Amino acid sequence: MANQSGNVYGLTILSPIIDDPRAEVSHDCAIRDYLASLPRDHRSPFAKLGSTHLARMVVMDDVIFVGAPAREEHLQSKYLVFESNFDGDLDTYLRRMAEDIPTEVDAVWRHCIGYPGVRDAAAFAAYMKKCQLETTFYFADVNDKTVGQTLHALRVQAGVAEFIAAQQGKPAAEIQAAFQQLMEKVRREGKG
Amino acid sequence: MTNINGKAYAMTAITPMKAWKSPILRLFFFILGHVKPLQADLVNLSFIHFARWVLIGRSKFPRLSESQPQEQLRYDYLLFFSNFNGTWNQYIDAFSDVLERGLNLVWRWSEKYPGARPVTPFKRYIAMVQFDTDYYYTAYPRATTNDVKAAHRVNAALEDLARQSASMSAEQFGAAYTRFLVAVQGDLGATGVGPVGT
Repeated sequence: MANQSGNVYGLTILSPIIDDPRAEVSHDCAIRDYLASLPRDHRSPFAKLGSTHLARMVVMDDVIFVGAPAREEHLQSKYLVFESNFDGDLDTYLRRMAEDIPTEVDAVWRHCIGYPGVRDAAAFAAYMKKCQLETTFYFADVNDKTVGQTLHALRVQAGVAEFIAAQQGKPAAEIQAAFQQLMEKVRREGKG
Repeated sequence: MTNINGKAYAMTAITPMKAWKSPILRLFFFILGHVKPLQADLVNLSFIHFARWVLIGRSKFPRLSESQPQEQLRYDYLLFFSNFNGTWNQYIDAFSDVLERGLNLVWRWSEKYPGARPVTPFKRYIAMVQFDTDYYYTAYPRATTNDVKAAHRVNAALEDLARQSASMSAEQFGAAYTRFLVAVQGDLGATGVGPVGT
């Protein structure tokens, strides 16, 4: 299936945005305003989901006219594009979006046509699947490691570099004892 | 800029295609997906975390209610999403240099595509069809895809050493530790802040 590469799932969502000329702030602007205020670091809602490698949201105002002799044409609706690369299966991910980050999901998708809310996780998942586009070709450079495994490996890598620097020139017996302590720490952190 | 988070850059591009060309492109992607050696250049570039192409038929834009106006498009559209390391210019330059043939096979079906070389009109085209990102998240902003692969190699080598050295004497451990250092020395670079530039 083109949406999947190894253990990683590539989700592409195109949600039509409500067009309401009477709205004080247009819905596309409201989405953009909200997204601009959303943390992008470890406080991000996607960090709470834990399984997201990389994700983006883009308001697509219109298609692009590339110049004559191509024909100029326009979309009837604006769309919210949501692209995510995550571990595991789609149903679990969508359920976790509804259950673990309901406030943020609601703040974004309430501006979209047909959004049913997140109280009913199954209805939310069904809505998202109606907006889903099938990936035609998906490339994942590392597709056999979870986010948790990668973050752990990056911490271990930094720890190993420090360890090697600290042990330089010491007798083998001393390094061996320190190595055992290092591995105990690695195992503890791996479980945490 | 929201397109950048740490060392990752989010590129989103959309190009129009005449509908009769879509099956040809789908066939090309099908072959690319099933003949792994054809992906070698993409893999060897080693600065793309994840990338995808999504072909949308002109009547396939999601319509969620009767009140939503029906799209009336003549073109199909090719969406491209990339999560890469480095700056926009580095990415396009490398793409143009290394993947010229592959890129041309993908985008030659899009209207007004100028070809991947020379790079100036190619960059102008990409800039024209690109959308800026409104929100971009990465779980490991300080790590490039090479950093990620190096970290997993270090982790695996460390686990190997731990397994092998459980019953070693100090002298044997010293020799195994030296072999470990030689094996991982190229993978210990610290991850730092992201690139500056365009």
